[in-house]
Amino acid sequence: MTLPSWTREPLVHFLIAGLLVFAFFAATGANEPDPNSRVIEVDREAQTQLSLQFERTMGRSPTDAELDAQIERYVRDEVLYREALRLGLDQNDPIVRRRLASKMDMAASATAETAEPGEETLRAWFEENQSRFASAELITFDQLYFSEQDAAKAAQNRLNTGSAIDQFGEPISLPASMDGASLRELQDRFGSQFSEAVNQLGSGENWQGPVPSGFGWHLVKVRERKASEVLEFEAVRDRVESDWRSATIAARKDAAYGVLRGAYRVEISR
Amino acid sequence: MHKTWSKLALASVAAMAITGCDSTASVDEAQSGNGEGAIELAEFPDRPYWGDTHLHTDNSVDAFGFGVRLGPEVALRFARGEEVTATTGAKAKLARPLDFLVIADHSDGLGATRRLYDAPRWYINWVIGDETMLRWYDMMHESPEQSQLAIAELITAAANGTIPEAMQDPEQNEENTRDIWTTHLDTLDRYNTPGEFTALAGYEWTAMPDGNNLHRVVMFRDGSDKTSQVLPFPGLNTSAEQLWDSMVAYEEGTGGQVLAIPHNSNLSNGLMFEMTLPDGSPMTAEYAAKRAAAEPVVEVTQIKGDSETHPFLSPNDEMAGFGVKGWELGNLPLTRRTEDGMLAGSYVREALKRGLSLEEQLGVNPYAFGMIGSTDSHTSLATGDEDNFWGKHTGNEQNNTERAAQPQNLGTREGRFGWHYLAGGYAAAWARGNTRAEIFDAFARREVYATTGPRMTVRVFGGFGFSESDWDGDWVRKGYESGVPMGGELADGGSAPSFMISALKDPDGANLDRVQVVKGWLDSSGELQERVYDAVWSDMENRTRSGGEVPAVGDTVNRKDATYTNDIGAAELRSVWTDPDYVEGQRAFYYVRVVEIPTPRWTLFDAVRFGILLSEEAIEDAVAQERAYTSPIWLKPSTIATAPAIMEQSPPEGV
Repeated sequence: MTLPSWTREPLVHFLIAGLLVFAFFAATGANEPDPNSRVIEVDREAQTQLSLQFERTMGRSPTDAELDAQIERYVRDEVLYREALRLGLDQNDPIVRRRLASKMDMAASATAETAEPGEETLRAWFEENQSRFASAELITFDQLYFSEQDAAKAAQNRLNTGSAIDQFGEPISLPASMDGASLRELQDRFGSQFSEAVNQLGSGENWQGPVPSGFGWHLVKVRERKASEVLEFEAVRDRVESDWRSATIAARKDAAYGVLRGAYRVEISR
Repeated sequence: MHKTWSKLALASVAAMAITGCDSTASVDEAQSGNGEGAIELAEFPDRPYWGDTHLHTDNSVDAFGFGVRLGPEVALRFARGEEVTATTGAKAKLARPLDFLVIADHSDGLGATRRLYDAPRWYINWVIGDETMLRWYDMMHESPEQSQLAIAELITAAANGTIPEAMQDPEQNEENTRDIWTTHLDTLDRYNTPGEFTALAGYEWTAMPDGNNLHRVVMFRDGSDKTSQVLPFPGLNTSAEQLWDSMVAYEEGTGGQVLAIPHNSNLSNGLMFEMTLPDGSPMTAEYAAKRAAAEPVVEVTQIKGDSETHPFLSPNDEMAGFGVKGWELGNLPLTRRTEDGMLAGSYVREALKRGLSLEEQLGVNPYAFGMIGSTDSHTSLATGDEDNFWGKHTGNEQNNTERAAQPQNLGTREGRFGWHYLAGGYAAAWARGNTRAEIFDAFARREVYATTGPRMTVRVFGGFGFSESDWDGDWVRKGYESGVPMGGELADGGSAPSFMISALKDPDGANLDRVQVVKGWLDSSGELQERVYDAVWSDMENRTRSGGEVPAVGDTVNRKDATYTNDIGAAELRSVWTDPDYVEGQRAFYYVRVVEIPTPRWTLFDAVRFGILLSEEAIEDAVAQERAYTSPIWLKPSTIATAPAIMEQSPPEGV
């Protein structure tokens, strides 16, 4: 049996899960305290929380007196908090605003940092993003350096009609040949201009160019080009996981924001 | 209805947080170890690898307070060349990736401001009950500007030793630090890919007596199996000697290796490189040996100025004084002004000289270090590129178009402006491959060099009897086999040493103006001397010396659009240079300074891009000659010289 593809959409999972949580809150009435209520309940659970917070700061459990003091502080805080809400002090307060916004972002992405994705999730991610896990294209080439373009062209004609290589080129501390270099290595050693130009060249016995670089001009003989290959999943599993994790964190933030944003109509006066 | 909808939305967000279960990600051994045996190595170091050993992320108290919200993961992605979104919203990417990175978050209060920021306000108010922390908390949440002020206060408090006790609670801090540290080490392993990108573990030890900067970046050779056995050593109320002891303890306890890199000696008011012990008593051989073993390299240039030398110390060096303006006024928070007498202990060239003198007295040179550059960026973005400057911290990222004109945020704000910031430098490491072990070992044997941002390739070999004809053959092999590379030592053999020097321009950057050899020595009467020699320069036929000086190379910078041309200068400069002033038996060091033609600084790019007006002073400073400083080669009168470590199979012991 195969399920329709929408059942694999994370956004659908997310909406369904949201509905469930919503239903749970609605059914149990487990909600944030109503700021309009004049009753403050400090139940066992709340007391345990206060006790734990104390423990985290002091490295030991509170004594009864200390716990009472914590409760007293908590009550004071809660009273002032509710009165502040009643007075609307949470409105237009940049501190409150930023704090709440960042909590929403954190809530959406926090668990993705440590989540352990299943094998299937990773394989699916790997299949979808294969180009990211391909080996680099490798180029094997010889090069001759010239400070002037004309000199390079003149040498090129003679080289391609059989003159010996050792008569040409000017000294420079660059590799005269590289075996199986990636474009990244080309860029590191010869610069962006050169690596982009050489990437356009096919392989063959001829001296091609002149190719410009930050140093001057080069004649290039591309002896071999090895196309990039998609690697085996097993070989790049860790990279896939790291990649999946980063993408998931970003996607969760975006998706959460997208859902919320969808409920708004934004009017910007121009 | 509205209310129902938003509750549903909130529930959805919460649901998203619930999906997924806790477990730690695993990485393979090659990534989590030191990289030995992980890749095939070149016979000799065949190219420099580029990195930043000094980057701060949101785990640094000040960086977070300055506003950065990007963590180590984003920092690593940016460094290896990916596009990321900066805290202030714009896309950021390096034109060329880096090869290695050390995230050096402050050990003190690692993650403390993040925790302060994330804590509920009432908790700080009533549970911790510290007024100062509460005020900082409110400032951090109020606005980016206030947040930066709060951190400026925090740095000043650290400098003055008035950090609130609750932030210093050792047990609490240790637990928090351990959490952040182990998570951080796992992230590093995940991004460390031998042969492609090296993520080294490290932290910053931030001691600052009276605001005088004694900071060190501590950098490890090892993977998380070893580094997780220790915690970053606190800078508050500890001394450098205690830091070195902790490093020795790490090496003995784990079999790993670690080194420390002093930085911003320019803001130390003379305390970084003293002739005495910190308490003023005479330097001892024991102390000098400890320091030499722990600190083979210094960071000579970064965003907060350049520490090579000062015009006061090097009056005959016409190119001294790069990146000195503003920084020379005082210590880090500008609580104490710098007096001329303090300068000698604040700059690297002078320290190298002092080292010769101390070695003569003690038999050990505490200041025999190599040089690197780095950024000290507090934005999680490791870039030292002038046309891609992301600011010292998040308060002056690229969205702040006025950043060059604004006063700086530290201390009293007197006299230091945004334009005094440099774009930051890079560290180049001559290594046989890109792994933790190879990069670390290059630092340990000082085969590294500093640049102020451009990526020029600089080779130096010292020896006896090199000649110009050596360039025709395999000169690199000859250099390694019959001489020593930068960072090495030569035994005085009764004749003048010669140096094979090759400087290749940054392939995507500016041409080279000149190559200079900086020599420091202890003369026969026991006085310290220095001299800068122009070894080779572009267009030598036409630029002939007049009055002993090489004429200026010229200037092609167009101030209106922040461009330059490579119509002047050279693609490569090389020379075999022999010391013309050699005297047998004198201790000396030689390092190479490679100078580019004039190019626009970040301030000129800002002025053009954002259409802002710079002050007259800032405009004068908006074009500069970027440079590289190599590690020195030392000439020692002793008969025992250290062989070039790279020729041995095993890594060098100690340093």
